[in-house]
Amino acid sequence: MPAPVLELRQLTKSFGGARALRGVDFELHAGEVHALLGENGAGKSTLIKIVTGAHQPDDGLIIVNGVTVSGLSPASARSLGIACIYQQPALFPDLTVAENIGLRLEGTAPARRIDWASREERARTLLARIGAAISPDAEVRSLSMPEQQLVEIACALGAGARIVIMDEPTASLTQKEQHLLFAVVRELRASGVGIIYISHRLEEIFALADRVTVLRDGQSVGTSVVGDINEATLIRMMVGREVTQLYPPSECSPGAQVLSLTNVGCKTSGVHGVSFDVRAGEIFGLAGLVGAGRTELARVLFGITPADTGEIALNGETIVPRTPQDAVERGIAYVPEDRRRHGVVLEMPIAHNATLAIHRKIFRGAWLRPEAERSLALDYIRDLAIKCSGPDAPGGSLSGGNQQKVSLARWLATKPRLLILDEPTQGVDVGAKSEIHKIIRRLAKDGLAVLLISSDLPEILGMSDRIGVMRGGTVVDILPGNSDAHAVMATALGQH
Amino acid sequence: MKRDWKALLLRHETILLLVLIAEWVFFYYAGTSTNRRGVVVGFGTLDRQFDILRHSCEIGLLALALTPVIITAGIDLSVASLLGLCAILFGKFWHDAGLPIPVAIALTLVLGGLAGALNGTLITKLRLPPLIVTLGTYSLFRGLAEAITRGAVTYTDFPAGFLFLGQERWLGLPTQAWIFFAAAIAIWLLVHRTTFGRSFRAIGYSPEGARYAGLPVERRVALVYVLAGVIAAVAAIIYTARLGQAKADAGLGYELFAITAVVLGGTSIFGGAGSVHGTLLGVAAIAVLKNGLATLPVVMRMNAAEEMAGLLTGALLLVALTSSVIPKLLARWHTRPHVTVSPTLKPKSTA
Amino acid sequence: MSRYFRELSVAGALIVVLLGLAVFAPAFYQPQPLLSLLTREAPTLIVACGMALVIISRQIDISVGSQFSVIGVCAGLLAAKGWPLGFVLLAAVGIGALLGAVNGVLVAGLGLPSIVVTLATLVTLRQGLNLVRQGEFVNLPDGLQWFGLSQSGGQWTLLIAALVILGLLGWGLRHVAAGRFVYAVGSDTEAARLAGIRPQLCTFLVFVFLGALTGLAAMMNLVQSPQVQPLSGSGLELKVIAAVVVGGVAISGGRGSLWGVFAGLLLLACIAPALIHLRIEAYWEKAIQGAIILLAVVADGVRSRRGGAKS
Repeated sequence: MPAPVLELRQLTKSFGGARALRGVDFELHAGEVHALLGENGAGKSTLIKIVTGAHQPDDGLIIVNGVTVSGLSPASARSLGIACIYQQPALFPDLTVAENIGLRLEGTAPARRIDWASREERARTLLARIGAAISPDAEVRSLSMPEQQLVEIACALGAGARIVIMDEPTASLTQKEQHLLFAVVRELRASGVGIIYISHRLEEIFALADRVTVLRDGQSVGTSVVGDINEATLIRMMVGREVTQLYPPSECSPGAQVLSLTNVGCKTSGVHGVSFDVRAGEIFGLAGLVGAGRTELARVLFGITPADTGEIALNGETIVPRTPQDAVERGIAYVPEDRRRHGVVLEMPIAHNATLAIHRKIFRGAWLRPEAERSLALDYIRDLAIKCSGPDAPGGSLSGGNQQKVSLARWLATKPRLLILDEPTQGVDVGAKSEIHKIIRRLAKDGLAVLLISSDLPEILGMSDRIGVMRGGTVVDILPGNSDAHAVMATALGQH
Repeated sequence: MKRDWKALLLRHETILLLVLIAEWVFFYYAGTSTNRRGVVVGFGTLDRQFDILRHSCEIGLLALALTPVIITAGIDLSVASLLGLCAILFGKFWHDAGLPIPVAIALTLVLGGLAGALNGTLITKLRLPPLIVTLGTYSLFRGLAEAITRGAVTYTDFPAGFLFLGQERWLGLPTQAWIFFAAAIAIWLLVHRTTFGRSFRAIGYSPEGARYAGLPVERRVALVYVLAGVIAAVAAIIYTARLGQAKADAGLGYELFAITAVVLGGTSIFGGAGSVHGTLLGVAAIAVLKNGLATLPVVMRMNAAEEMAGLLTGALLLVALTSSVIPKLLARWHTRPHVTVSPTLKPKSTA
Repeated sequence: MSRYFRELSVAGALIVVLLGLAVFAPAFYQPQPLLSLLTREAPTLIVACGMALVIISRQIDISVGSQFSVIGVCAGLLAAKGWPLGFVLLAAVGIGALLGAVNGVLVAGLGLPSIVVTLATLVTLRQGLNLVRQGEFVNLPDGLQWFGLSQSGGQWTLLIAALVILGLLGWGLRHVAAGRFVYAVGSDTEAARLAGIRPQLCTFLVFVFLGALTGLAAMMNLVQSPQVQPLSGSGLELKVIAAVVVGGVAISGGRGSLWGVFAGLLLLACIAPALIHLRIEAYWEKAIQGAIILLAVVADGVRSRRGGAKS
């Protein structure tokens, strides 16, 4: 049995008073895909940061290829063959693809002469190897997010990494690019590279990984060969309890039509010919692969990129949302995908976040009323079970799931007629996920029309009363809520 | 209860208040003396204190104008140049166009607002960085003032009724002080007690987040620049009334004092955090410094009051900026990584 | 082609202005005054090169004018004391680097915004200089002017030196790794850090470099007249920033080239004499400078709105 290419022994790390890792053991073999699973806050990202040299462990050993290393820095980690592909590509927007790859791979000697010809050649070769149709001359700013991630992978390939860490790599890839990525992962594995694969998507782990390690509360709960374990056991290891029912049952009795779209389109965002309706009390799931246009449609409805064709009607009345303000006034609420940047203002207290969208309603004549604000915040903290030290706690002090709840509270406070949820449980731990699902169910039961956008197919299938499938910027079909995954996926892919 | 007192004491504004008091006391003792005729002269006289109040009105107004701007994470380098331009325009309206004083004042305020709207439009409609836009208008406004007056013309001979605003007292205090107080109260209410102020903070912390919350970001940002323009115009009127003349170099260099006052007062240059009462304390601290220096015998001998004031204010700005980031740096220093290896896990030889 | 669109349009505008002058004010092209004009602008070009680097790295330095004045006076005093020219030059560059280092430490080390830091150093230096010198000139010893050469010889020496420096820096920005690091840091500081480039060190060095170049420029200015005026640097920062911005360097960092800066500087330098020849008074200069900065930035803004602006 060859020695592991990476071994972590009793890794311990605390931040301030919080213990992020408590004596974690982990090992990675050459030529294996080792999945790392765990709730938010379980310690995955801390572990990754330590392996890539961004943090120093308080205690424990890091052994690379049998040699103990200490004082690991990003530069020395790279030289040891450790590379990490993050969700947010760390590229230079103003520079070309060839230069981006060059800057990452050429080392940091300042007096070196730049050879532009070989930079372009190297970029061309690496991109071809992963089958990406990207020109080396292109400015990174002009590339889409998935294309940027492919450039990142090209960099890792070029660096000759032997230990590659992938942190939720498929979060923003289309199906085609996901397959491409899986192929690249398999090729890396075949060439002896060890891959640590972090994902919340269990079906990916079962499809790709050889072994899986589950972290919980900073400790390793167990490592298992993927073939020897099933989904329920994995979830039990993550959460510490049996989770038999993932999704609350539907009690949908849809009422009147709330939202009606007829041939809605927006040229700049690629959305065209969208027609469907959402009724009061129903959860309308919007499924589709990334790039299908779901978030783009939400942004059209919410006035961020206004529609230029078609008709949007709310409760029978035609509306034309040109700005988010318009949309909010009409009763549309949008809980955005990027909660840290768009959903919650991290520096402001929960109470201020909660009232940020309802200034006109709750503060008559533009005068603030702190007591009314506080009491509203306390109501939502109670209703949504937000774990915090009080309404004055800044948004940034909360965990991801609780931040999502604050974001939700802000929009529920607008008493909307239509609630659009965009990836409401992305990056949220299983416990909070289930709470949020129950809340969404409850809202629908109380008569709210809900448009649920999610890339998590089980979530769409489990929560929706009807499913609109998007592809290429339009809704291609509307399926019943009890459809199976194959039907939805086939429609999304355009294969019947 | 005990923790509340400590928090109150350590607040930025409290420390600044203590510094202000210490400063005032220092200048009182160092800058006051009795002259040959037995009259008390220098810093400790009521006349001098009123002078300080008069002087601080203009910089104070500019600092008030800048506070909402900086809270939205913007900056306006052109306020002092706009003061100069508005002073000239006011002089022109009254002297060359023969308009009555109230009309000239009203027109100047409108033009100040329009100039602010120029900044606001370029920043919001074209998404240009406030830094370079206001650097351009800093040059443009002062340049227009110089061009209009051909670098030479000064407007004087204003009527006594107008000069009352800048040189006389009303109800015991210098007249312009009342205008300044009114403006201070209005801006304080705007920033701390209205939804506008709340939205300024949100925009300063996260402009995209504010947009997604349905706040009219472009309108609010444009508003702070228009407001800054109007307030600069008010400052121009008071400046002209105080000096009795309008010249193209009115307010030259005031932007430094105004920005220093705002930063000193605890408003973060990065946006979001800040207070109007902090700015007012900052203005007071700088006004006392500027005027106190002129009463020190050593400075009077060197005839270098202007230079000393500028030098110390520049240094003060650096100190204020540095001390604002020290807590952050200290926090990072305290949580810097320690590398320890537990003795029980000494690596075995892997041969 | 489109990557150099900005530089080409500025060059185009420059040619239009030059042609216009040839037709309407041919007196502009008299050799000696033209040579004097270019030589007067040579120090500005040097500072503009340094400023371009600072702005590319997503910072700004408005204290260069005060640095220029202070270094000029210091160098003049040293020369008046009898120091040989070579040592005075080294001292000038050294003092400049030191002043730049102060800015650099505050911006790179403490993370403070460069606009406010350099506003403070601008005033501190200027008022400090006024305090010490009270506006007094420094008389330079004979034989220092024009390096002891004839005026024409000295002017050509300065011009060629400036062009050589421009060429070296322009080449270095494109073909030396350190130059690319400046672009990287200006484009995305975090990505630069992850790539192993040290953004703080790079930013610090960029300010030091600008200071050193300002020192060199002050020397180039020193040898052009028999006295040093303490106000010699006044207005320099706006002139330089205008040239850099007009030349296509984006305030948001990460893009731009020195060729554009060169064209921009020439364009702006032609405007003042063009105004004289067109009989527009000199007191319009500041307003026109401000208007040009705004126009250049607006043009950038309109263009990048079409191409997807960086937040």
